[in-house]
Amino acid sequence: MNINIPIAIARDEWRYWARSKLALFSCLIAGLLIVASLVSTVARIESERVTREGFQEQARETFESQPARHPHRMVHYGHYVFRVPAPLSLIDPGVDAHTGTVMFLEGHRQNSAVFSPRYASAQAGPYAELSPAFAYQVLLPLLLIVLGFAAIPREREARTDYLLYAAAVTPTQVWLGKSLALAGAACAGLAPLVIGLVIALSAGESLLIAAYMLAGYALYLFAWVFLVTAVSAWCTRASTALALLLACWTLLCVITPPVAATAAQTLAPMGGKIATDLAVVRALRDTGDGHNANDPAFAKLRAQLLEQYGVDDVADLPVNFRGMVAQWSEAKQTEIMNVFADEKMASEAAQSEVVRWLSLLSPALAFENFSKITAGTDLSQHHAFLRDAERVRFDFVQKLNNIHAEKLPFADDMQRGSSPEAERRTRMSAANWRMLEEVTTQPQTALVRISASLPQLLIALLWCVVTACIGFLRMNRRLQDAV
Amino acid sequence: MSETVLVAEELCVDRGDRRVLENVSFSVGRGDVFALLGGNGAGKSTALLTFLGFIHPSYGEAYVNGLSVKDRIREVREQTAYLPEATSLYTHLSARENLQYFLSLTGVTRSAQEIDQGLDDVSLAADVRDRRLSTYSKGMRQKVAIALAILRRTPVLLLDEPTSGLDPVAIDEFNSILGGLSQGGTTVFMVTHDVYGACQVAQRIGLLQHGRMVGLFEAGDGGQISAEAVHKTFAEQQSR
Ligand SMILES: Nc1ncnc2c1ncn2[C@@H]1O[C@H](COP(=O)(O)OP(=O)(O)O)[C@@H](O)[C@H]1O
Ligand SMILES: [Mg+2]
Repeated sequence: MNINIPIAIARDEWRYWARSKLALFSCLIAGLLIVASLVSTVARIESERVTREGFQEQARETFESQPARHPHRMVHYGHYVFRVPAPLSLIDPGVDAHTGTVMFLEGHRQNSAVFSPRYASAQAGPYAELSPAFAYQVLLPLLLIVLGFAAIPREREARTDYLLYAAAVTPTQVWLGKSLALAGAACAGLAPLVIGLVIALSAGESLLIAAYMLAGYALYLFAWVFLVTAVSAWCTRASTALALLLACWTLLCVITPPVAATAAQTLAPMGGKIATDLAVVRALRDTGDGHNANDPAFAKLRAQLLEQYGVDDVADLPVNFRGMVAQWSEAKQTEIMNVFADEKMASEAAQSEVVRWLSLLSPALAFENFSKITAGTDLSQHHAFLRDAERVRFDFVQKLNNIHAEKLPFADDMQRGSSPEAERRTRMSAANWRMLEEVTTQPQTALVRISASLPQLLIALLWCVVTACIGFLRMNRRLQDAV
Repeated sequence: MSETVLVAEELCVDRGDRRVLENVSFSVGRGDVFALLGGNGAGKSTALLTFLGFIHPSYGEAYVNGLSVKDRIREVREQTAYLPEATSLYTHLSARENLQYFLSLTGVTRSAQEIDQGLDDVSLAADVRDRRLSTYSKGMRQKVAIALAILRRTPVLLLDEPTSGLDPVAIDEFNSILGGLSQGGTTVFMVTHDVYGACQVAQRIGLLQHGRMVGLFEAGDGGQISAEAVHKTFAEQQSR
């Protein structure tokens, strides 16, 4: 096929847009929205970074500058950790918008992450965050529809197509030319994305991921290009094509995602929060109260320690028995809480697995998943943050319990209620508080993210191929069509 | 007779569930102008579109330069320039842009001077050539369409009512252009209502009535077909 002809047709299509107020106006609005989405997301992430680093520093300073005191009071004093967003969250905030970003770490409890951007912007309505991902996945297809719905029926309505065909231009060349024109518009629309990717690169994202994401977005938009030209090829009237394409867009971009989420909840149900919380409390009750060394739950620990050190009384142990109890019971409780936490994460993961399967129904849904996984802002990334935070929590609590067990005499600990002298000796030096670790959850490696998102990309590719074939075959048949 | 370029062989065409061409046969020699006359709905445009492969005969076959339209449609279209009944050019483009665009699609390159010469030939006013066609009158658009068909310089011209919308001066100009092309060896098949114009330029005239060829007139050596004779047959057929 002579490729010059489709290119000439594509160039004329661009010239047509340049002279059409509707096309120009739509491009302008779409361009503004995309740029605004990028600027506002970058600005939000930057301001959150400043706030986060300020609070993080402050939280550490307040913890470390606590005066000398009993180490278990520090266990209850607790510490805040903050999630650092993935570099590509400036393109696709993913689940970050719904999940919390701050977690209070303390002894005996696993708290939930709080302060999600969505919560913070609840006043601004359901589409409060206009992320570049949303702009590209939902709004840009709409622009492609507005630009392209009439591409082929317009020629038919003006009867210019017969002049083209009579000049030995083939219908498939016309189809290819119109598709090229739209693909060009899609590529131009990707310019702000490239800027976003460059910013992410400077924030430490890998070049491989940036290129992969760009290719993915291009492929997704091409799937829309071919859907638009396929529908345009099928319809003899532009108005029919527009109605049909808007119906497709509503179905694929607006209706399918929430339906898939509901279906996932039905297919992979999760226990209610209250029921789970009660189950945790019930399970924890049996581990005993770590503040009470005489709790029968610790009889076994007591016997074991007495035997280990060959003494008859806990007062004769070289370690502080109360500290040992605190350590032992924290480990025991954490083990139980982790079982519940793992269960919860597993059922959340099962739901997102269902959604991934439902992605076959809509390229928009598939692509939403592709984008989140590639950006490192999907559920698994949030789970990684939760696990890291839990590790840090357990670590600092046990370090404090260790100080309690090793450095604080048992006798003083027992008498601190009655003797002010003993109480004074239970206060450990503030130098001990310099032991906090930070949570620095990094996105998974490029290859892990690529292999996890590849099936979603293949779905988009499949749509691309199928719609391209439909359009091509329709136009190929038109060669034999009568007037 | 010289070499035949266009051949219609017992064409029968059905559109919808109606037969609109019934056993139509004719041939046009190289450099000849063939005019097809007939009332509205007689099947003239249908006959012309059959040569472009836009309409497929249920029986019979059409040939262009010895090529079967059915089997060699691409080559046939490359050798023919078509002027549609309803002008169908791009209204978002100017006259010059329309010509440049369509010519580039047919793979021929014409210089700006050649394009301007083509527009001079159909006497389109120079000051409107860069205005969009959406601001043109029907006759002005028709002139651009004629210029396009001529600028392609194909061996065959298929013209569907080329003079509709043109003023009398422009019609005369058009007829003289046609005479020149015919002298140069271009074969022309045109559908028209203009009996007198047709008699001036055509070597052969066919009269179509309800899908049947009811009259074929031929000019003698160097002479012209008599308009009175054509008119008389036309009127007789109409009244039957
Ligand atoms: N697209 C069409 N579908 C069905 N019938 C048509 C179509 N176009 C024309 N016809 C019919 O075919 C017949 C011949 O039409 P046409 O060749 O356009 O006539 P003419 O050009 O001589 O005025 C008419 O009776 C007309 O009603
Ligand atoms: Mg007609």
